[in-house]
Amino acid sequence: MINMKRAYYEDIELFKSGTIVFWTIVFLAVLVTFPLYMSNYYLYLFSLMMVYVIVSVGLNILVGSTGQISLGHAGFFAIGAYGTVILMTSLSLPFFVAIIAAAFIAAFFGFVLGLPALRLEGPYLTIATLAFGLAIMHIIGHTEFFGGRQGLVAPALDIGVPQLGWSYVLDSMISKYYLVLIFTIIMVLVAINILKTKAGRAFVAIRDSDIAAEVIGINLTMYKTLAFATSAFFAGVGGGLFAFVLGFFDPFTFNLILSVIFIVMIVVGGLGSVMGSISGAILITYLMYDLFKNVDEVPVVGALLVAFSQQFMTITGMDNFNYIAVGLVMIGIMLFEPLGLFGGWIRLKKYWKTWPF
Amino acid sequence: MRISKKILVTMIVPLLAVFLFASEGLAQKKGFDDKEIRIGSWSPQTGPAAPWGATSRGAKLLFDIVNEQGGIHGRQLRLFIRDDQYNPSQTMAGVRDLVDRQGVLAFVGGVGTAPALAVRRYLAQNKIPLVSVMTGAEHLNFPHNPWLWALWPLYDDDASVMAKFLVEKKKFKKIGMLYQNDDYGLDPLAGVQRRLKTYNMELAIAVPVEPIERDLSSQISRLKAAGVEAVIGYVAPTQAAIALRSSVAIGFRPQWIHSYNLTDFSLMNHITDGLWAKEGVMTTAFTEDILDFKIPKMKEYADAAKRLAPGERWGIFYAAGITAGEPLVQALKQVGRDLSPEALVRELNNINNFQGIGPRVTWTATNHLPPAEFRIWQCGPKGEVIVLQDWTKNDLPKKR
Repeated sequence: MINMKRAYYEDIELFKSGTIVFWTIVFLAVLVTFPLYMSNYYLYLFSLMMVYVIVSVGLNILVGSTGQISLGHAGFFAIGAYGTVILMTSLSLPFFVAIIAAAFIAAFFGFVLGLPALRLEGPYLTIATLAFGLAIMHIIGHTEFFGGRQGLVAPALDIGVPQLGWSYVLDSMISKYYLVLIFTIIMVLVAINILKTKAGRAFVAIRDSDIAAEVIGINLTMYKTLAFATSAFFAGVGGGLFAFVLGFFDPFTFNLILSVIFIVMIVVGGLGSVMGSISGAILITYLMYDLFKNVDEVPVVGALLVAFSQQFMTITGMDNFNYIAVGLVMIGIMLFEPLGLFGGWIRLKKYWKTWPF
Repeated sequence: MRISKKILVTMIVPLLAVFLFASEGLAQKKGFDDKEIRIGSWSPQTGPAAPWGATSRGAKLLFDIVNEQGGIHGRQLRLFIRDDQYNPSQTMAGVRDLVDRQGVLAFVGGVGTAPALAVRRYLAQNKIPLVSVMTGAEHLNFPHNPWLWALWPLYDDDASVMAKFLVEKKKFKKIGMLYQNDDYGLDPLAGVQRRLKTYNMELAIAVPVEPIERDLSSQISRLKAAGVEAVIGYVAPTQAAIALRSSVAIGFRPQWIHSYNLTDFSLMNHITDGLWAKEGVMTTAFTEDILDFKIPKMKEYADAAKRLAPGERWGIFYAAGITAGEPLVQALKQVGRDLSPEALVRELNNINNFQGIGPRVTWTATNHLPPAEFRIWQCGPKGEVIVLQDWTKNDLPKKR
């Protein structure tokens, strides 16, 4: 995109300028101090947002940077959630070991799903990944070991090693929020750095033209499956955290709609950019979970919408305002800013750079 | 990396200000004041499960009626409904929103096993009563949860009464079962099997159905091949309709009997083109007949619905919402003017043989189980309710 780089070092450094360092620190400071001035509800909402940030950052490595597609990410998300909880309850592994192991299991499945991707492209690959996501949901739903369709209740979140006698149970939403925050920061840093390594550049080369990439010596088999595995790893970590943020999940939680929502997050945010995935995940989660959820209690507007709904829509019409708003925002972004939120950000930056001229 | 001090100061000062003057405190808000009592409810108002959302609106009707009559000891009831699309993560968001930002005294209704399982722990931690949760799945109620009061009867009890009726009253020898392959079907499967064991009988055949299946011809053929005289159904309304149509189509006409979730005969007749009445399908039921306006309460509610919520269909889920709200209103009345969460819990545990338009409810400090009394209905030729057996308690509850 529009970044003028003159040296290799500029390409690999984490922060481009002091301004970015400053704002990153401010942003993190706000996140860290958030529980001091916000209610529990927002802690839950933000934890959920960060879980989705992890998933969409990972998905963007696959879709945005490597040019592959996956409509099966809810499957990896499910593997992460189920894997973490089951490894903790049946093998009594410590949390950190369990979540990493579960993420590696997800990555393995990602690798396996990456194999057909070597021969399939576009709509065909979409169908293959879609089938994977649905299959995972149904396999879990039919297996007693995974709790069947009744779902699983997450155990107490003990981040110590209970076998060695030191356990530390995170019970409150605040502590879980911090745990998710730490994971999110690490995973986002990992994602930014992956894109600056040899692998990251190979991904981009494959996206731009896989034949050309192969000609210049990039091993397609390795890097395509690696992209799937990496992306699945992120989804697995996200799933493991999601299990504890919510505390309960059943197979239907990980349905096709969730996979589609993940895609929506990165497309709205901006393909191929970490900042885009983050902003997309935050915006979509906010729209789905918070916007207009209490529409009839909003002063003035609420009463107006209630009247409108009763006049022109059904009795249950009220809650559709949430859907309508989400849809309008998505259409609006795609219409006016095809590069997503990140594209908008770049335009904004360019505009202010030359301001007032 | 040079940041001028000026910029640093201008950035940090507003940040500090946000800290110091942040309005939204951590303290939980109270669920009531001198003028109103705030109650929460969740249900799917949108999405595929939206028909069940009528329950929350039914509870709202009951509260509106109570408010018209002057409220409860001078306080008005206010119901906040959150749409969760039957998605547990959305339920959690809605419930936290109500508890943390709005402040509610209790939750009433609340549709679905998965959503309820997701928020159960959180509500217990925050000491918010969850009254009349709308699911008959067993594992929500065990072990005993002091913050959850159940009204929706357990499917296990339902099926046990049903099987007893089929064997003792109807003298059926070969009984089959068509069940949904999750706890909605598996709990009653166990109940039927336990009951039949007391007669030294077994189910002739038990055929599972996936909730998303729409072609049930193979299941029906298996039931037909087993030569069953009666089929117990634990499936969703759509599937019950499909099952009935396909069995009539191949000339297989057993006596169908379904769970209490399928008592909306006019709806069932509509989606089976009248086959429901023609075949005389039976169901269990745990409420009064919602079209029997000789019952004074039923008439009062139905009239109020016409007046206060003219867009609503007077259906079984809407009425179920009223049923869910009644014990809570009763408990609030028993509390008197000195309201507190503790007092509400005390009186909820003191609901004794209370009956509105639903079943007789008794809750004690150690028993929050739903009622286990059922009636058995048959769909008459005009779609009316014929009562085959009046209130019968399950005398063979599962040992726990």
